[in-house]
Amino acid sequence: MNATAVESRSGEVPSGLDRSPLLEIEDLRISIASDGSSFEVVKGVALTVCENEIVCLVGESGCGKSMTALSVMGLLPRGIAKVTGGRIAFEGRSLLSLQKRELRRLRADSISMIFQDPITSLDPVFPIGSVLEEVIRSHRDVSRAEAREIAVRALMEAELPDAADRLDSYPHQLSGGMRQRVMIALAIALDPKLLIADEPTTALDVTVQAQILENLRARQREREMGMLLITHDLAVVASVADRVAVMYAGEIVEEAPVDELFSDPQHPYTQGLIRSLPDISVSKGSLHSIPGRVPPPQVPPPGCLFAPRCEHALDLCWEASPELSRDGAKSLRCYNAQPFEIG
Amino acid sequence: MKRTASRLAYTVIVLFVSSIAVFYAIRLSGGDATAAALPGSATEEFREEFRDRLGLNEPIYQQYFTYMGRILSGDPGNSLTNNKALTDMLTEHGRNSLILGGTAFGLVFLVGIPLGILASLRRNSWADQGIMSLSTVAMAVPNFWLALLAVWLFASTLGWLPSAGCCGTKQLILPAVVLAFEGIALTVRMTRSAMIESQNSDYVRTLRAGGLSEWRITCKHVLRNALIPIISLAGLRIGQIVGYALIVETIFGWPGLGQVLVNAVLRRDYPVAQFFSLVLVALVVLGNWLADTGYTIANPRLRKST
Ligand SMILES: Nc1ncnc2c1ncn2[C@@H]1O[C@H](COP(=O)(O)OP(=O)(O)OP(=O)(O)O)[C@@H](O)[C@H]1O
Ligand code: SF4
Ligand SMILES: [Mg+2]
Repeated sequence: MNATAVESRSGEVPSGLDRSPLLEIEDLRISIASDGSSFEVVKGVALTVCENEIVCLVGESGCGKSMTALSVMGLLPRGIAKVTGGRIAFEGRSLLSLQKRELRRLRADSISMIFQDPITSLDPVFPIGSVLEEVIRSHRDVSRAEAREIAVRALMEAELPDAADRLDSYPHQLSGGMRQRVMIALAIALDPKLLIADEPTTALDVTVQAQILENLRARQREREMGMLLITHDLAVVASVADRVAVMYAGEIVEEAPVDELFSDPQHPYTQGLIRSLPDISVSKGSLHSIPGRVPPPQVPPPGCLFAPRCEHALDLCWEASPELSRDGAKSLRCYNAQPFEIG
Repeated sequence: MKRTASRLAYTVIVLFVSSIAVFYAIRLSGGDATAAALPGSATEEFREEFRDRLGLNEPIYQQYFTYMGRILSGDPGNSLTNNKALTDMLTEHGRNSLILGGTAFGLVFLVGIPLGILASLRRNSWADQGIMSLSTVAMAVPNFWLALLAVWLFASTLGWLPSAGCCGTKQLILPAVVLAFEGIALTVRMTRSAMIESQNSDYVRTLRAGGLSEWRITCKHVLRNALIPIISLAGLRIGQIVGYALIVETIFGWPGLGQVLVNAVLRRDYPVAQFFSLVLVALVVLGNWLADTGYTIANPRLRKST
């Protein structure tokens, strides 16, 4: 990824929020219980994904991106994590109060998810075609032959080579990239309205990453799906996102249309992330990275969670937590935002 | 397929090596064979002639080949104590052992797997805790002790079942359960942990994301995956059952291969001891091969390499 690519994403699609919202997350709270203690890892996240828009959720490892995504699907790891507050609505319906059955009907049919690790994400003892078929037939009243047809079409759309001949392949016979294509086929086979992709390329070869991402984006555009793409790769964000939400230690700290986020980041953490993009910092002769560490979720400090690492921290920042305040298409959680300077 | 073939070759080699080991072990520890076959008053010349006739004065490796040649040609010889043909003994007692061992083997899986599944589905419930505590106890109790306890409780005290004998269903119950006990306990634990591991796996998460019902996922995908490690240990279970059969058959007076072998060793009837040791070793080795074949079939990753 180079600096020109970062700038080249023009607003061919008007930045969200003026379209009808598909997914609305408000004040989402998720706690993890481990060894008797319990702590919050998602602390009041708000996020909206509209039709035909790609929202990227970025933030460093452990900030709660996957937990947020899994909670939408109702797939938080059982007995470990649970939603303790907030609202998740899909097309206006609250997902958190749905019966198990109703939620199951939405999965794959209306909301799909692709996971980070394609190697472990497919059942090793069944051919991929049979799993696709099973998922299709659990939602549609079609014959096996028809289900196979749908499966092949989905595999072709996911650009799996020789799709029709691969139905009887077992996962171990496919490469990581091909398995992720199978996961994509599973996710898009039933034409969902919302696709959640949790770091879909992180585990893959660099050469395959771009192709998979390109494929996902093409499918999203032609189906006008809403897409929540989780990544910690800003280069990916720059190349596909319409809107970006930046997450830090379980909170959204900034949200903006992609161009504005890159050209005029407001939050000191976002500014740090963008400064740490190799191309920008290398040209300045040094690699910028944000000093300090994320506060442990078990014992969050009072005040702004970023204060220990923030160069603009005020006294106030150590005492009170800033709220996420909205200004048009942008939101920000900071008391003392400063203009962005590279360097 | 390649794996199955190479396993077969391996099995043949193991059979060969263990036949040598068994042959030497019995020959060298057997003591004086004439003591078993001849009355105490027999003269030394007569004993010498007897050894000659049996080939016991030849070099031992030569004896081994002669002996294996006879086994392979279908005539392993006769018992020293009652002159019965070993082949007849094998059919008669082998049948009994097959009934007992087969029942125990069936119990191990038909009882162990459902209990393990139940425990995994009701994790941390009283049922799970009960099953798990019982299985812990079952693994700690020595086999012979369990056999004696079972005889005391169900035969002597309650009088529900006979304490010994052959070969009806009533006589079969106690020895079969005792023989299967430890295997059941191990299978329960194996099943439970394999089920739980599969339940928490990424691929199950994918299936849930696909909107499949929990019931379907459990019955089809979780169970099918959990079977792989369970089958992989079936060979061990066979070995265990064969080994324990010596004790259990003796205690319950079940006239199977194990009992015959124990009696033969006690009476220094070395042709019987030797032959039946070989048979039991062969059973274990072949059982392992079968189990491995099953494992290969159950696991697509081993079926063919692409
Ligand atoms: N199974 C678990 N047991 C205990 N803590 C967990 C577990 N899974 C996640 N966590 C904790 O929850 C927090 C949020 O995890 P999450 O997986 O959402 O992070 P993430 O932003 O997706 O990170 P990554 O980029 O590494 O995927 C982390 O701090 C992690 O320590
Ligand atoms: S609120 Fe204060 S400490 Fe937190 S990011 Fe803004 S300036 Fe920094
Ligand atoms: Mg994650």
